[in-house]
Amino acid sequence: MHSGQYISAAGHLGLIAWLLLGGLFTDRPDTFELTEVSVISGADFDAMVAARQAPQSATEVAQPETPDSVEKPPEITRAPDTAIEQPAPVQVDSPPEDTPPQVTELPPEATAEETPTPPDLSEPVGDIAVLAPETAPEAAPRPVARVAPEPVAPPEPEAEPDAQTREAVAPDAAGEAPEQEPLEATAPEEAVAEIVTEATNAPARSNRPPGKRPAAPAPRRVVEASEPSQEPAGEAGAVDNDDVLAALAAAQEAVAAPSGPPLSAGEKDALRAQIAKCWNIGSLSTAALGTTVIIGVRMNSDATPVNDSIRMIGTSGGSDASARRVYDSARRAIILCGARGYDLPADKFDQWQNIEMTFDPSKMGY
Amino acid sequence: MKHLFLSISAALGVTLAGAGAFPSPAQAQEPLRIVIDEAIIEPLPVAVPPFQAETPEAGQLAGDIARVVAADLTGTGLFREIPASAYISSIGNFDASVLFADWKAINAQALVTGAVSVQGNTLNVKFRLYDVFSGAELGSGLQFSGTVEGWRRMAHKVSDAVYARITGEGPYFDSRVVYVSETGPKDNRKKRLAIMDYDGANVQYLTDSGSIVLAPRFSPSGDRVLYTSYESGFPRIYVLDIGSVQRRVLESADGTMSFAPRFSPSGETVVFSLTQGGNTDIYTMDIASGRSQRLTNTPAIETAPSYSPDGSRIVFESDRSGTQQLYVMPATGGEAQRISFGEGRYGTPVWSPRGDLVAFTKQNKGRFHIGVMRLDGTQERLLTASFLDEGPTWAPNGRVIMFARETQGAGGSSTLYSVDISGRNLRPVSTPSGGSDPSWSPLQD
Repeated sequence: MHSGQYISAAGHLGLIAWLLLGGLFTDRPDTFELTEVSVISGADFDAMVAARQAPQSATEVAQPETPDSVEKPPEITRAPDTAIEQPAPVQVDSPPEDTPPQVTELPPEATAEETPTPPDLSEPVGDIAVLAPETAPEAAPRPVARVAPEPVAPPEPEAEPDAQTREAVAPDAAGEAPEQEPLEATAPEEAVAEIVTEATNAPARSNRPPGKRPAAPAPRRVVEASEPSQEPAGEAGAVDNDDVLAALAAAQEAVAAPSGPPLSAGEKDALRAQIAKCWNIGSLSTAALGTTVIIGVRMNSDATPVNDSIRMIGTSGGSDASARRVYDSARRAIILCGARGYDLPADKFDQWQNIEMTFDPSKMGY
Repeated sequence: MKHLFLSISAALGVTLAGAGAFPSPAQAQEPLRIVIDEAIIEPLPVAVPPFQAETPEAGQLAGDIARVVAADLTGTGLFREIPASAYISSIGNFDASVLFADWKAINAQALVTGAVSVQGNTLNVKFRLYDVFSGAELGSGLQFSGTVEGWRRMAHKVSDAVYARITGEGPYFDSRVVYVSETGPKDNRKKRLAIMDYDGANVQYLTDSGSIVLAPRFSPSGDRVLYTSYESGFPRIYVLDIGSVQRRVLESADGTMSFAPRFSPSGETVVFSLTQGGNTDIYTMDIASGRSQRLTNTPAIETAPSYSPDGSRIVFESDRSGTQQLYVMPATGGEAQRISFGEGRYGTPVWSPRGDLVAFTKQNKGRFHIGVMRLDGTQERLLTASFLDEGPTWAPNGRVIMFARETQGAGGSSTLYSVDISGRNLRPVSTPSGGSDPSWSPLQD
């Protein structure tokens, strides 16, 4: 019934919508744009263009004119100084006289009798051994064949059997069995901390300052490493290699780092000391004493070394023959002192499963 | 660039994946790194059981040679012999395998085995050296042949090989020493030239004691000796052939005194001191032609010249500075450079066969020292100290120095001593009588 009204309303709404939004969907540009202009004269235009031109350099610069006359100095008039009024002196009482100090005579010191002695003008005795005064024989250095990082005092003298014969003590049947005395540990072998020569008491060094220092050790020579590959030419040189290497190192570290807490400094020192006390360099050549070797070793879980895994990783500072001698001595030390297992924390096995040891005998050389 | 990044990323990815999927405990773990820069210095324990006698005639020699080898090694101070009483097992056969556990149990770190056979006058000695803790032979076995009379030299050859293999030093046991043998009291001492093995064995006399002899010096080939004799009343230099014991004087002008001779490394030239008109300078003389050349020309006393191993320089002593000091000059003469600056007086310099050190006698505060220093005068190290030490001579390997020590008083005597250049292992050299002025030969062929 009301369909006519509905149709009319829809028609009106559609009309209103078309009127409001119909313009949004058309892209026809406006046909005209209005701009305000002003009219200027030709002289004004030339003046405006000339103002925009770059300034031209002037070849002649006007010099400043010198002043015709010199300024006269100011006249100085001397006026007499005004006398300063001095205050009149005030009469004061004279100070009392100082009391003279009391002098007490001290007993005279006993004067030493001086006997004039003529200076000795005889020629000094030359430094000739035959004329040297008799000197007491010097104590010979202790004949200790062992030099170790920690000196060991000579052992107590052996106990001697008592000359007095004593009767044997009969066991007391009713008594309790006596406790057996614990066995004393064997005294460590006597050692000194450094090589003692016969001339130790004499000046051991020249006063002359050291001259040329020995050449720096040769760069570490990796024994088992393969030759580095040739760098690719071209754009590889433009790559930021540091970033790549850093990323690789970080990635490898994340994979290779052993789990668990690392060894403490004390635990490392203890291991170092255990090996050092077995590393005997007494039979090394003087050349070998300047050679450093790096040795890799794999460890068993009971802290004994896997002897077959001991290998030389790198050397520096000497010939191959010298490095071999140092390696042999170091290998003996690792095996000798590790036979019963090193004192290492078992819960940190991951940390010491593989050890890289640098043996540097140069500090012990001469 | 992108390609490279992609490649690296891919490789990294594969690597990481692989590492995560197949962890390798031995290789994936970052090793613990420690530095060992302290050690002990003590003689290396070595076992030298008696060598095997492979023929009946070799029975005695087999034991004797092993004893000489052991004495050579322990005499260096670098080795300590394990007594036979400590042995758990014995060597029954030279070619049999070694029971390393038995030798390890007694802490023998090196083991020397050998065998000896005699056929007529021919002596054969063979040996093997084992590194006990490695359980392997150190080098390969060697065999020497010679005469029965030369059995000690054969033993020294074995010792040299063992010593060199373990220490890395050059050999020196198979060498000789010429020295001045001294007998009698100080005011009437008889002196004559003697030659012996380095260890004091096989002493032979080269001159009689009719005149004073001084400062014998070996030629580089070891077949001749230079020495100074007062046979003519004045000091003169003689050259003596050791094999034939024939000698001849090196001519010098009348009224001069020549002394302190030494061979050049070539053996063709002698450098010596010559005193003329009260002035002592250093000269060289060509042995074949007798032509001489003056190297120094100062009013000071310049003597005790010694060539560098390459023959390019000469170290000598001079008091041109007012006190006796050491100087180095070119072998053809020229400007000398002072190298000693410490307290006291320095003399009798001898260039090391290695060329790196100079041994010298130092006199300071009434005592004498044998010392060594580098050629620039640094790292001076005094090895001995006594009433009178003098006349150092180098072992062929430059590791050991021999010298003469005189004891104090009217009844004092002179004895030969040797010392390691570390200052350790100072010990007398056994000689039948007193000795002075030693000169070490080169290694024998």
